[in-house]
Amino acid sequence: MAVYRRSTRHRFLLILLVLTSITVITVDVRGGGGGAMESIRRGARDAFAPVQSTADDVINPVSDFFGGLFRYGHLKSENARLRRQLADARGTVNASTNAERERQELLALQKLSFAGDIPAVAARVVATSPSNFQLTVEIDRGLPAGIQKGMPVVTGAGLVGKVVAVSQERATILLLTDPSFNVGIRLSASGDVGVARGNGTREPLPVDLVDVGTKVTGGEVVVSSGLQGSAFPPGIPIGKVRSAKVPPASLQQEVTIDPLVDLSRLDFVKVLIWTPKETTP
Amino acid sequence: MPLVLLLFLIVELTVLDRLRVFGAGPDIMLLLAVVAGIVGGPRVGALLGFAAGIVLDLFLETPMGLSALVFCLVGYAVGSIQGGVLRAAWWIPIVTTFVASVAGVLFYAMVATVVGQPHLVTTHLFVVATVVGIFNALVAPFALRLVRWSIAGPERAYV
Repeated sequence: MAVYRRSTRHRFLLILLVLTSITVITVDVRGGGGGAMESIRRGARDAFAPVQSTADDVINPVSDFFGGLFRYGHLKSENARLRRQLADARGTVNASTNAERERQELLALQKLSFAGDIPAVAARVVATSPSNFQLTVEIDRGLPAGIQKGMPVVTGAGLVGKVVAVSQERATILLLTDPSFNVGIRLSASGDVGVARGNGTREPLPVDLVDVGTKVTGGEVVVSSGLQGSAFPPGIPIGKVRSAKVPPASLQQEVTIDPLVDLSRLDFVKVLIWTPKETTP
Repeated sequence: MPLVLLLFLIVELTVLDRLRVFGAGPDIMLLLAVVAGIVGGPRVGALLGFAAGIVLDLFLETPMGLSALVFCLVGYAVGSIQGGVLRAAWWIPIVTTFVASVAGVLFYAMVATVVGQPHLVTTHLFVVATVVGIFNALVAPFALRLVRWSIAGPERAYV
């Protein structure tokens, strides 16, 4: 009898906890962005920020030490390679000054707006996602810097992702390889548009809606299309075409792209202070 | 007990987010739920699983309460099953942890799909489940000792 009593009490507790969870899930999902859950989360993240910084200060030297130990040979060859590249790059810079001036003139002429005239906030990546099911990183700037949900995040090389959550001291960025990430793209050579979607870590991004007749070449650069109501401004470089083929009897090409940014080694990023324009002509 | 929870959370958010094997990392909050079930039975398993899940949810973008729901059920299930097993063999908790962790990850993906988070159920899911299972099983002996120590006082009556 006693055993029976105890197990019913356990079951009661379990049911209570399950119902609480379901209620919380419902409130969060139904509440959209601005609910009570959002503010609780913000509070928790801000409270945790100093702990995280301290832990990082302690752990970074340790993990760098071990990382260096295990990859010594790799670092040495990488160093040599980088020196060679730097020498090449110096030469290229000298040669490209003129080309750059011409490009600036052309840009002004065509009124193409790549990140140049959009204000940006530089931030440092302080943590990656603790979950196996979301590809995000956290940066050390938040609401006071003017960061809002939905803003694009870039590095010098191209698109990184977009802001999905902001608190006072932190912002969470969804990487473009996350399966829930979508971005309208334009092929730089043909000008044809499509939609690229994330497909997981280190996986190329499949591109949908590319016309069968379009000529797509490997290595072609793909930029954000910035079509009306798009979540990103036009002209941000996103990736390079990895493969393109037309399956028999299909209405679209099978195109995949590799991101230009090395997402596994993010350090500094820039958040573009840009939100989609509501007003359309 | 809250101290152990906080310790696990800090480790999860600062150390383990760097650790990635085949694009999957360990999940010690799930481990905490499993171990609590093994050590303290269904009641402690469900309670601690719920607590571990809800604090982890604060730092995720998935709907709030999702991990809490999954972890509390996992803790309860492990606690109930463990009640009927002799604790003589040292490897039983390790195997239990492995199986429960794998099941927990798969269950999490299932529940997430139900509440409108698709994209989780892919072939990669099985890689994630295996990595989490193996890692948690390896760490289980230490976590067991820690949790047993922390709940030894008030919960001795139940153990």
